[in-house]
Amino acid sequence: MGTPAQRMGTLPGRRDSAQLADVLERVLDKGIVIAGDIQINLLDIELLTIRIRLLVASADKAREMGINWWEGDPFLRQGRGGKGLEDRLKRLEQEAGIDEADEQDQ
Amino acid sequence: VNEPTASSATGIYVYGVVTSETPTALFAGVGGVHASEPTTLIRDSGLAAIAGHVRLDEFGEEALPQNLRDAAWLEAKVRAHDEVLAAAVGHTTVVPFRFGAIYESEAHVRAMLAERRDLVDALERLSGAVELGVNAYLDRERLRTRRAAERSVPTEAGSGRAYMQRRQLERALDDEVGSFAGEVAHASHERLASTAEDARLNPVRPAAGVGPGDMVLNGAYLVPVAREKELRAAVAELQERYADDGVLYELTGPWPPYNFVEREQA
Repeated sequence: MGTPAQRMGTLPGRRDSAQLADVLERVLDKGIVIAGDIQINLLDIELLTIRIRLLVASADKAREMGINWWEGDPFLRQGRGGKGLEDRLKRLEQEAGIDEADEQDQ
Repeated sequence: VNEPTASSATGIYVYGVVTSETPTALFAGVGGVHASEPTTLIRDSGLAAIAGHVRLDEFGEEALPQNLRDAAWLEAKVRAHDEVLAAAVGHTTVVPFRFGAIYESEAHVRAMLAERRDLVDALERLSGAVELGVNAYLDRERLRTRRAAERSVPTEAGSGRAYMQRRQLERALDDEVGSFAGEVAHASHERLASTAEDARLNPVRPAAGVGPGDMVLNGAYLVPVAREKELRAAVAELQERYADDGVLYELTGPWPPYNFVEREQA
């Protein structure tokens, strides 16, 4: 049976993106939901799945342009450590002059 | 210095269940969501949980929400989840869990196995079956061109009557292409479902703007391993029937039966 790539059928050109969309849909949106000890917010996963579903459709196009499929979505573009959004927020807050010091002054 | 810290604490990630007779060797060499940890089986009450240790600084309650928003992380882990389950597909029946079933201890995994008797029923119900996915895409332009060629196009260019006829033709083609997408989806799903024990029609994914066209079918079919060939033949038959209309079929799998376990939802 082997790897997912080997399990694929026709269309070698579309294999990667089709596989990605198909895998994401199944693993995040199907399968039995089992509540383990670690609480995952399933609503978060649902929203995530919706975002991803919109994005993976253009995975091919993104790849053609030499970028990652998630580049268009700031929410998913945070990179390891997940600091991207927080950093940007902090920078924007500083630029707008609403940092913690100001809040304390008020 | 060797004191265990919060960051080195581990949890147990569960991918799904198989029957307790399943050999652990089936998963030897399959990395899983934490590549350096072996994938093993935790057996209890006639079931075996396909499991592996994960670090809580990656999969714990604090780290997970953040990691889920990291697309590169998520893609890698989701693929790994599927690869572990795929190792069993075709060898034994698998009941797939959704991403993210994580336990604090082996004892808790065992307790889950003892409690979820519906998983035994699911293994029985899905025995010997695998899921095949069939996607179909429609190249609307190609279909439109073909349908236009089948009609007599008015040649008296410039005449008012010809203009009106062309307008009517355009509208008729729009309608035809639109209804064809629905027809081909319905006919394909029905034909494919006739070879399967069970079938699911999922929402089509949005158009990519590139590739073979708009998705018109996103189907999942539960077939006994021995009858996989029949479904593959049906796909080939549909491809031949609709190729000239601009339809392209894509067969994926065999997958664990992800689409056929909603009955077991808690």
